[in-house]
Amino acid sequence: MTGRRGECRPIEILMVEDNPGDVRLTLEALKEGKVRNNMHTVSDGEEALAFLRRQGAYAQAPRPDLILLDLNLPKKTGQEVLAEIKEDPDLRRIPVVILTVSEAETDILKTYNLHANCYITKPVDLERFIEVVKSIEDFWLTVVMLPPK
Amino acid sequence: MLIAAAFCFMALRRLISHYWLISGRMTHPEELVNETVALVTSLLLLAGVIFIAPLFQTIKQAAATLQRSKEELEGLVAARTAELNEVNANLATELEERRRAEQLLAYYAEDLKRSNAELEEFAYVASHDLQEPLRMVASFTQLLARRYRGKLDKDADEFIAYAVDGANRMQQLLNDLLAYSRVGTRGRPLVPVDCNSVLAKARANLFMSLEESGAKLSSDPLPMVRGDEVQLVQLFQNLIANALKFRGANPPEIQIATQETDDSWIFAVRDNGIGIAPAHQQRIFLIFQRLHPRSEYAGTGIGLAICKKIVERHGGRIWVESEPGHGATFYFSLPKGEPQ
Repeated sequence: MTGRRGECRPIEILMVEDNPGDVRLTLEALKEGKVRNNMHTVSDGEEALAFLRRQGAYAQAPRPDLILLDLNLPKKTGQEVLAEIKEDPDLRRIPVVILTVSEAETDILKTYNLHANCYITKPVDLERFIEVVKSIEDFWLTVVMLPPK
Repeated sequence: MLIAAAFCFMALRRLISHYWLISGRMTHPEELVNETVALVTSLLLLAGVIFIAPLFQTIKQAAATLQRSKEELEGLVAARTAELNEVNANLATELEERRRAEQLLAYYAEDLKRSNAELEEFAYVASHDLQEPLRMVASFTQLLARRYRGKLDKDADEFIAYAVDGANRMQQLLNDLLAYSRVGTRGRPLVPVDCNSVLAKARANLFMSLEESGAKLSSDPLPMVRGDEVQLVQLFQNLIANALKFRGANPPEIQIATQETDDSWIFAVRDNGIGIAPAHQQRIFLIFQRLHPRSEYAGTGIGLAICKKIVERHGGRIWVESEPGHGATFYFSLPKGEPQ
């Protein structure tokens, strides 16, 4: 039972987000958190899969402990990326947190049907946004036991 | 005539042979009887033919008369048929015209429906898509305020405060616009709904405000209507919240009453608040129309516009009766929900 708790290495987070503003806000929010982390960002669906499969420029990419996935992405949509991750026997264990502006019931249902680990709507208010990012960090990186690498 | 001549000839012959018999040799008495019978028959036939001739004439005349009246009748029928045909043709033209008018009307109705739907979709998409960049403006000005308040000069703090306030208000407006357009685009089908449970839900949602203001909310037993329950809760909630918000010096008192008409229920929500001057009683139902400065009463001015849209989506009407200082009564009608 080797969760990440015994280890001192930082947590690897992959953020799939095409809006640099959101990337920066998430970084700022994580800065205020307490878990040491390395955040990696890619801005479209194809890059996300290349990162996860260590293809091309991502040959040396670390395996993320947590994926923050936006739905509205260029090239491959968030749903397509999610479907490919959850079909891959090697990648499917990595928790995927959907972080999107969409409040549409169909999006929520569709992503849970694709085995998303949770669905979060980006709060409009900054204070709330920071709270939410901190709670993602707290829940997924300190409360939850993650699968060993 | 030929037949008549033949009978004449036969009768003459019988007469001659009879005469022969009587005057000449009377050999057989039976022959005499036979001849007599034949003579009488011939005479009778002759008489018949003589009578039949004028009868024929009469029949012929009758036939002619009949023929004439038949022709007259045929003429009359033809005229009538022509008349009818004309009327039919006119009727067909009229029908065609009406059909075309109906088609045009249906087309316009469809067109109007489509453009309405497009407009609602536009409002929804616009407000939804505008949220994204606005979220950036709001978030980063808030981040500026959070990190740099008091670290720059006084002007910078003030500028940042205005930017944050503007972005926040715009967000509120967009949210409200989204909520408004959702009434049309995201509504559920109308089904029988118990208004008592609608009111109970609205009351539960407003529990805190009702408690804080010490309000008294009373209601008649409410009927069943045909409606979208989520929207009806919002309708009641908005009207009650308005009564609380625009209250007078005394604790708010809100009464809900109903009145039945042939096919609908009229609801009245009466309060003892500040009331609305007659000049503004139409305007308050328009989107983003406010009667008071933001410093006095918060809000974008969406509440009653949403109420109006909900009531109209249900096929009803909403209006207000009020005198400034004497409270206001909001009326709205909703279609009946129980089986007729």
